[in-house]
Amino acid sequence: MNGAQHILEAFHRHQITTVFGYPGGCIMPLYDALVDDVGVEHVLCRHEQACALAADGYARASGRLGVCIATSGPGATNLITGVANAHRDSVPLLVITGQVPAPLIGTDAFQETDVLGMTLGIVKHSYLVEDANALPGILEDAINLAQSGRPGPVWIDIPKDLLLAEVQTRAPARPPRPEPACPDIREALALLRDARRPLLYSGGGVSLAHAEASFRAFAEASGLPGVTTLKGIGNAGKHNPDDLGMLGMHGSRAANRAVDECDLLLVIGARLDDRATGRLDGFAANARLIHIDADAAEIGKLRPADVALRGDLNAILGAFTEALRQTPLAIEPWRKQCREWRTTGGFATADNEEPHAPITGPAFVRQLSRIAPDDTLIACDVGQHQMWVAQHYRFDHPRHHLTSGGLGTMGFGLPAAIGAQFADRQATVINVSGDGSFMMNAQELATIRRYQLPVKLIILDNQCLGMVRQQQELFYNNRESQIDLDDNPDFVAMARAFDIPALHIERTDQIRRGIETILAYRGPMLLHVAIAREDNVWPIVKPGASNREMIDQPRRTTNASKEQVA
Amino acid sequence: MNTHNPSSAPSYQIHCRMTQEAAALERLCQVVRVRGFRIHQMAVHTAGDHLEIALTLEGARPIAMLQAQLEKLHSVAEVCLAMPSLARPRTA
Repeated sequence: MNGAQHILEAFHRHQITTVFGYPGGCIMPLYDALVDDVGVEHVLCRHEQACALAADGYARASGRLGVCIATSGPGATNLITGVANAHRDSVPLLVITGQVPAPLIGTDAFQETDVLGMTLGIVKHSYLVEDANALPGILEDAINLAQSGRPGPVWIDIPKDLLLAEVQTRAPARPPRPEPACPDIREALALLRDARRPLLYSGGGVSLAHAEASFRAFAEASGLPGVTTLKGIGNAGKHNPDDLGMLGMHGSRAANRAVDECDLLLVIGARLDDRATGRLDGFAANARLIHIDADAAEIGKLRPADVALRGDLNAILGAFTEALRQTPLAIEPWRKQCREWRTTGGFATADNEEPHAPITGPAFVRQLSRIAPDDTLIACDVGQHQMWVAQHYRFDHPRHHLTSGGLGTMGFGLPAAIGAQFADRQATVINVSGDGSFMMNAQELATIRRYQLPVKLIILDNQCLGMVRQQQELFYNNRESQIDLDDNPDFVAMARAFDIPALHIERTDQIRRGIETILAYRGPMLLHVAIAREDNVWPIVKPGASNREMIDQPRRTTNASKEQVA
Repeated sequence: MNTHNPSSAPSYQIHCRMTQEAAALERLCQVVRVRGFRIHQMAVHTAGDHLEIALTLEGARPIAMLQAQLEKLHSVAEVCLAMPSLARPRTA
């Protein structure tokens, strides 16, 4: 068995059934082995960046390992943005690249790049295979490492000659995963019981730890009001009356106020990212802090914790839940206060637009949220539409919301939706994009067509880079610079060129029919939604400012301004 | 990135043991740089399949933060901070 065949053998052993890739010179031995393999479905994307982002979307939606494959040189460098995206959001990925034959490394050979060197900062770990007999062990390590502890991408760079070489060794026995130890929660519990205004602050770590059920049991037993980060959206479910929604730069007034006034912040699976906290010295200034995370390096990184609990979230939350069920917290006045803030300072739920009014992003997303099935997977891109989805779509599970949080990768949404659809062929998968983001990976329409994926594509088109324009308006004296996209292609015609039917809407009274039409269609379909260029995401905190300094939507006389905003 | 003047930043001594593999030292140095420290002195020797690395670092950020980041590296077996030099400004 040669090196390439060993890779496929490892895929089978680890139940890896779907991989995303693009062939080329130095990875050809692996593609040759794939010809004889029936157990692995290889998805051919149209750009290596999309391979990595599709593998990322597959992993986020399924909770399983995502795999992407590319050749050396440009194949590998094209993967980098996608792998960085997975790294910043702790998504388990296995990345396999071909490298020039070992004797040619360091000779500036055709399509040679120092992949190991240029990817050090965007991987959990990486390997350059230097001996064919080391390959089975490296594969085993990499697959386990990517998924263990705080997950992340692991990259294996393999010289072409070693893919072809006979491998004499077998994969080592898989070491058993260590049982997660539960740290002593007594000190944290005492702090929680002392607090009068305790608040839950949860992030993407909850679903990364597969701790969604434990989290909800804890939230119910504790009765704590909660806020979430962008990646924590959905942790509490869509019906929890104590969930104040997303905090931070585009968070709700209710969420940011609760953080400001709490006397204890219980941070679960979150890293206190600057987009969430705003200026740190003004963040939860009067609160003590309990930090629960799988990654020791996140604890105390930006804000010292009064009590730190490192370990498996399921075990820790389970211990808290048990203790709180025996003796509940007495925080009723605080819960009542937070619910009041949620009513007056939460994100709007009503649509007040007139039927012939132009469509606004929030109004569209609210209708989408009401019409789409509960288990719909929404893959966003990056920009204003991403924030409108975060604010106004009511997610029932964090894995239903695929969003590029840490890296903020424009072009994420379309390939991530492709990956999510491969993770669950029966699921309703919608890519909500902006006109800027969509064009960054528009070539993947060909992938949707090739595999006849029933992904629904929604473009909120304001003919500009809306988030940049908004910040130029608010923070750069309205000096617009390089944000115009008014020469966008005809997106409807573009979709049709890929045999994907498409619709255009522009008035509020067309929203429902547009959404229902694309959802009812059996195959892929695109909905092009024209929205106003000048619409902004509200509220907003200026980058670097404190969350106390939220800027609300100024009063206007247009129809769009009639909607209630947070 | 460390934006502080290195000459006024505290100095630390760290000892690190890591698996000898491709790009091991680059990986270590990359984390040191990105987390806001500057390498003032570095000595490396091989011990079997491990590298023993002694580092003198300068940086204004908490050294415990760097230590935690280094300990996260898959190829790092041990990171020891030599306490006597903690928070001592470099005078050379």
